[in-house]
Amino acid sequence: MSTTTTPARSEAGGSSLVWALRDTQAMATRNLRRLLRQPEQIVFNLVSPIMFVLLFRYVFGGAIQGLEDLDYVNYLIPGIAVQTVLFSAGVTGFALAEDMQKGFVDRLRSLPMARSAVFGGRVYADSINNAVGLAILVATGFAVGFRPNDPFGLLLAMLLLLLFALAVSLGYALIGLTVRSAEAVNAATFPLIFPLTFASSAFVPVETMPDWLQGFATHQPVSVVINAARSLILGDDVTAAQRELLLAGQDTTSLVLQALAWTVGIAVIFGLLCTRKYRALVK
Amino acid sequence: MVDRPAVVAEDLHKTFGKKVKALAGVSFEVQPGTVLGLLGPNGAGKTTSVNVLTTLLRPDSGRAEVAGVDVVADPAEVRRRIGLAGQYAAVDEMLTGRENLTLVGRLNHLSSADTKRRAAELLDRFALTDAGDRPAKTYSGGMRRRLDLAAALVARPPVLFLDEPTTGLDPRSRLGLWGVIEDLVRDGTTLLLTTQYLEEADRLADRISVIDHGRVIAEGTSSELKSRLGAAVVEVVMEDDDRAEEVRRLLGDRMEASREDETVRVPAPDGTATLATVVRALDDAGLQARGLQLREPSLDDVFLELTGKPADEDALTQHEKEASS
Ligand SMILES: Nc1ncnc2c1ncn2[C@@H]1O[C@H](COP(=O)(O)OP(=O)(O)OP(=O)(O)O)[C@@H](O)[C@H]1O
Ligand SMILES: [Mg+2]
Repeated sequence: MSTTTTPARSEAGGSSLVWALRDTQAMATRNLRRLLRQPEQIVFNLVSPIMFVLLFRYVFGGAIQGLEDLDYVNYLIPGIAVQTVLFSAGVTGFALAEDMQKGFVDRLRSLPMARSAVFGGRVYADSINNAVGLAILVATGFAVGFRPNDPFGLLLAMLLLLLFALAVSLGYALIGLTVRSAEAVNAATFPLIFPLTFASSAFVPVETMPDWLQGFATHQPVSVVINAARSLILGDDVTAAQRELLLAGQDTTSLVLQALAWTVGIAVIFGLLCTRKYRALVK
Repeated sequence: MVDRPAVVAEDLHKTFGKKVKALAGVSFEVQPGTVLGLLGPNGAGKTTSVNVLTTLLRPDSGRAEVAGVDVVADPAEVRRRIGLAGQYAAVDEMLTGRENLTLVGRLNHLSSADTKRRAAELLDRFALTDAGDRPAKTYSGGMRRRLDLAAALVARPPVLFLDEPTTGLDPRSRLGLWGVIEDLVRDGTTLLLTTQYLEEADRLADRISVIDHGRVIAEGTSSELKSRLGAAVVEVVMEDDDRAEEVRRLLGDRMEASREDETVRVPAPDGTATLATVVRALDDAGLQARGLQLREPSLDDVFLELTGKPADEDALTQHEKEASS
């Protein structure tokens, strides 16, 4: 065809995996740029963990009983860490819904980019956002007396939380793809996250809750992840009595394995559902 | 040499849910380097047709091909050859104009040097250089549209789809955008353009497919479509019905004049020559006309003839429906 100029795009010198990674990088850069240009979002991300730490450390902390002499601030920080990443996981769904709503996803779907990069770039950027949030949280914790026993354990705990956040954010991505309304995703965040974080071991020992709640509060995934993170952070500092009461009587390895199982399970299920939903856009 | 069409749509069907038949057997072709205008009222199926051709939607049945590639069999390859500016500008408002273009360039797998050059070139071409480093949310509607069109052009696609590119623009911005589109076509781009504006199709399109209720109801060049309505008419507007009737009788039998209230119409197969004859006849009879003009049939007339309602009226009722639902 004489009129068809050779397309300038050349895919020589790169496998499709390499292109998928580059597309993911390009999308992640775009998402992070957007984030940096929304000061209200940044302020919320920074301020809310700090507020929660101060609130629980100085307002409620004194009244919290049954810790077997464990310093409350050391108990608290892993709990707030999970709460923080759970809330920012909502951003993934919110942002995706916004892109759907504004037709930006349609533009992306008309480009020769890797489809996976739409999600990949999202969770990549959101994970960085989460990591920054966690770093701020830990720094705040240090300022108010948080002293992890095991720095390496702290690092592993943060990694675990990032993975968990990634899994949960795929759940939010599914909501975002389904309702296609940023407001609706926002509205769904609180009713979902409040019961999961408050009916958990995040702020108070599960043993202080009524019997009917204890079963759920001990075994639901958020508690499992918190307990695993807590166990990693406290390291050898935990007495047998503390472990029995506060960590469901289980050792670090078993808690971490359970937490990973939940994380992988949630990620796989929601990852598959998201893929299916995204493919169905063409129908 | 007869080129293979750059775009083929063959008996495309698409139903949403159970009842909404968006496409009920749409067929058309676009020859390389030419412009097809897809003209139709709200809800006609224009966007659905574009979405099928740009791989955003899969047709229920029928066949579609772009740049020789089947859209259902190899959508990824189609995406390498097209540019799309959808009905609603899909720019990222938080990013600057330049960043928007750069992102699209990267996702089109251009090299970073080429992306950079292209972004600068397109900002310049669309008169956005001054605003290029400002977030797109500070842009006016017309600037956003231009940026969206620029984004569709980043990878120099041989086939371009523009869905109502000038809807919502003021006349000056519309003229500007028309100029840019004409330049693109001159450079050899194949273009499929949807529009509700007859004037736009008339000006930009080599061929026009009129689409309504998911079907192509007429097809041809602008002048072919107009000639379906026969030749031009001379319209004489008089002070009142009585005087108009006088004129009708005067021109009556000789020129097949007809009257509607104070307006008399005379078919004008010879165009201005007929006009001259009418003027002379009025003069000789000492009659003073309030208005006199030679009217060429417009695409509006074609539309009225084909769909039984003016394009705008249809658009209006559709909008009313949307507003009240
Ligand atoms: N995703 C969808 N789900 C359900 N119905 C749809 C969907 N998209 C389009 N339709 C319906 O299909 C028909 C054709 O719509 P389409 O958007 O193709 O029209 P259009 O010619 O582009 O109209 P407009 O000028 O308003 O943009 C309409 O009746 C519309 O309501
Ligand atoms: Mg449309």
